[in-house]
Amino acid sequence: MSEKLVTAIANMEEKDALALAKQLIAEKADPMIILDDCRSAMEIVGQRFESGTYFLPELMLAGEMLTEITEMVKPEMSNGQKIQRHGRVLIGTVKGDIHDIGKNIVTFMLDASGFEVKDLGVDVPADKFVEAIREFQPQVVALSGFLTLAFDSMKETVGAIQAAGLRDGIKIMVGGGPVSEEVRNYTGADGYGKDAMAGVSLAKQWVGVK
Amino acid sequence: MTYIPEIPASHQMPSCDVRRMVIACATVIEEMVPFLPADVPYEILDFGLHLRPNDLRESLQRKIEETRQHADVLLLGYGLCSMAVVGLKATDVTLVIPRTDDCIGIFMGSCAAYRAQIKQEPGTYYLTKGWIEVGDSPFEEHHRLVKRYGEAKAERMTGLVLRNYKRLGFINTGQYEIKRYREYAQKAARQFGLQFEEIQGSSRLIRKMIFGPWDEEFLIVPPGHTVRFEDFVSSVPRPGAVVLSEYQS
Repeated sequence: MSEKLVTAIANMEEKDALALAKQLIAEKADPMIILDDCRSAMEIVGQRFESGTYFLPELMLAGEMLTEITEMVKPEMSNGQKIQRHGRVLIGTVKGDIHDIGKNIVTFMLDASGFEVKDLGVDVPADKFVEAIREFQPQVVALSGFLTLAFDSMKETVGAIQAAGLRDGIKIMVGGGPVSEEVRNYTGADGYGKDAMAGVSLAKQWVGVK
Repeated sequence: MTYIPEIPASHQMPSCDVRRMVIACATVIEEMVPFLPADVPYEILDFGLHLRPNDLRESLQRKIEETRQHADVLLLGYGLCSMAVVGLKATDVTLVIPRTDDCIGIFMGSCAAYRAQIKQEPGTYYLTKGWIEVGDSPFEEHHRLVKRYGEAKAERMTGLVLRNYKRLGFINTGQYEIKRYREYAQKAARQFGLQFEEIQGSSRLIRKMIFGPWDEEFLIVPPGHTVRFEDFVSSVPRPGAVVLSEYQS
């Protein structure tokens, strides 16, 4: 574990964090340990956000550092020994919503937990999800949204997946700030995650890993 | 099946006896006050609560409990607001809540107008006079970031916060001194590379909330009932609009 990397991310030192990650990669550090450091740092950022020391901008920058470091680490993961992947997750923020911090953190956590993740970005129309399911063949589809307006888009997306005859082979989860069991029920999804960890646990459960 | 509560007969009373009261968010009350009759008192809740829906729900419930001796009908100046109103119990009063996602729909005059704007450009950051005044926006937060992290890092952070936004929608609700607030919004748009657009607001929904009719655009929760998520998303209109005069007859 690199204490320095954890501290740099947690203290919003982006340049230092990226330089440290680069150095660790050059020193052939285990990629999973680097991602684990990122996860530890994100926990600290999360705590500071909860306690009111940090606000949305800090969360955004931390999320961005996580994405940047994951991108740096990924080639190492495929170059080295074959990493056992648990399964494929397709993720995106649904149509009409452009919030992505939650989605990006979940994407990172899934990556760091051994999933192969395809992120479609924000404001993603239902037919784009359908198309991507055909190509990427995920076991899990994760629909994200922060606005309550997104609930209708989530419902439409689940409906479009069903109409395309792709619903049976996959599990769908919904997530984002205000999502609850009532919302899950409304959208027709199979499950929901209260936070990023819950989303990862659900995905693991669905693909049958502990 | 959709459950839509009816106004109980026991609450039909002479007009002078219907005691209305408003509980509203600091940004919404700004727009309501010009229309409020003198005999309708109001209470204001902190704007910052919208970021913490569970706290907002608790604060609203407390207010409902406190005011139940003083009102028959409580008008809530809130929308679904990140599900904060779901689970609220109308104890001894009837709750009337606009069926809109949040206050932007209230400022635009209808939930439909808001949804049309979202369709046009989902990446819109909305500002109104009230929002500018409470100062909780990435544009105000930027000043805090500059102080704490310096100019360069603040630019980076605010840039990330606004990354997916393309437009700054300034909702003109016809409030006085609009010029000053418009200039603020224009300046913010310029500074952060957003396209400025003035969106015509409307007091339609606010006036309808105060004076009725409380038709399918409102959720009416009789005493003893709880606000449910399904009541917001159901597209089935209430059987017959409740006009305040009917309610009072």
